[in-house]
Amino acid sequence: MTYAYLFKYIIIGDTGVGKSCLLLQFTDKRFQPVHDLTIGVEFGARMVNIDGKQIKLQIWDTAGQESFRSITRSYYRGAAGALLVYDITRRETFNHLTSWLEDARQHSSSNMVIMLIGNKSDLESRRDVKREEGEAFAREHGLIFMETSAKTACNVEEAFINTAKEIYRKIQQGLFDVHNEANGIKIGPQQCISTSVGSSTSQRNSREVGSNSGCC
Amino acid sequence: MSAGRPPFLPGLWAPHPRMTSQTRARPRQRACSTGRPGRLQRHLSGEFDQLRDFPIFESNFVQVTRLGEVANKVTMGVAASSPALELPDLLLLAGPTKENGRLQLFGLFPLQFVQLFVHDESRWQLKVKFRTGRAFYLQLRAPPETRDREFGQWVRLLYRLRFHSAQGAVPFTQEYSALEDCDDDEEDEEELELEEPPALDTRLDPQTSVLWGL
Ligand SMILES: Nc1nc2c(ncn2[C@@H]2O[C@H](COP(=O)(O)OP(=O)(O)O)[C@@H](O)[C@H]2O)c(=O)[nH]1
Ligand SMILES: [Mg+2]
Repeated sequence: MTYAYLFKYIIIGDTGVGKSCLLLQFTDKRFQPVHDLTIGVEFGARMVNIDGKQIKLQIWDTAGQESFRSITRSYYRGAAGALLVYDITRRETFNHLTSWLEDARQHSSSNMVIMLIGNKSDLESRRDVKREEGEAFAREHGLIFMETSAKTACNVEEAFINTAKEIYRKIQQGLFDVHNEANGIKIGPQQCISTSVGSSTSQRNSREVGSNSGCC
Repeated sequence: MSAGRPPFLPGLWAPHPRMTSQTRARPRQRACSTGRPGRLQRHLSGEFDQLRDFPIFESNFVQVTRLGEVANKVTMGVAASSPALELPDLLLLAGPTKENGRLQLFGLFPLQFVQLFVHDESRWQLKVKFRTGRAFYLQLRAPPETRDREFGQWVRLLYRLRFHSAQGAVPFTQEYSALEDCDDDEEDEEELELEEPPALDTRLDPQTSVLWGL
């Protein structure tokens, strides 16, 4: 299937926060409670529709453990978007955000859009990190923020798609040089990029994100 | 479009629902060691800029159960993340998507966390085992006239990797226990003994030889 752009995403954060589950929920619409420990990188892909454009998201799900950290660093390169995930029921995963963010900023393009995700919002009774704390962290560091549940699928679509919208907005504003592959954006095969990005309403055959479901 | 997950990652031996529809035969491709880029290499050059320039040795396989039942198609490759490396350091796994049968990269794993074994030489079968305990079996899919040669390349590779890791691989540490290790049957693997370590100077530079002299 053809696409206007391909965006590379990377999913980062401590082990066990639900990175692999988020990806599976987004690509396959299912939750698998027992997931193997990720070693290296696992890939997922899905087409989304932003503003009438088909965009392929190529998602790199990385291993969160310390022993893989140096390996993970080399995968930031060329990512247009990052999902930085913590677990709202485990404060230490929130405390580690700063070091993840440092890594991400240091090893990626400065334009990379970072979405901060507080996952496992279905576990309200075990909440250990307030939503306001996530919001404040995001505001302070210039990130987008959402709470999600890979289990109930709440906000999962929105998290991936809002990140794409932000990247797309940056492209339209000319902040991203789409010809520089280091930015994590590729122009789709046989796309004529001289046509202005924007209002085309063709190619509506992919799933559209519903308006904010407000489930979390 | 969704791409699915590697069939060998979720669950135990249930063939992945996305993959089983793709087990019909398709034109065979030769491994890229013959000089021509393989399917995986071509897929990477299309969409994975960072992996595009890696030297890759790849073959097409079918995933089989331990008893040899055929599940789904897998393309496995090894790649070197730098041309300066004497040996590949990454394992790549790909398979056809359900939607259109096109090859899709599923995973990229540092070889230091993966072990390769000969499972059944007479059936051109390898065992791939992750340090987390997860293991699966792959049977080479190649034309009869080149099958033995191609399998031999994998066997040589596996020897070299093992010799290399015996020289001081990074120990694997993990936070989860290896829950999946129940089918650990390494005793009955035909693990090849390292009677005689290959001489160091036979390890060739992929830049000067075609892919590590396999
Ligand atoms: N209740 C709940 N559990 C989750 C959620 N996401 C992941 N999990 C569980 O958290 C554990 C770790 O998930 P995984 O995706 O492997 O984490 P990763 O190491 O970050 O990839 C698994 O046991 C999942 O079942 C969620 O949104 N809600
Ligand atoms: Mg994971």
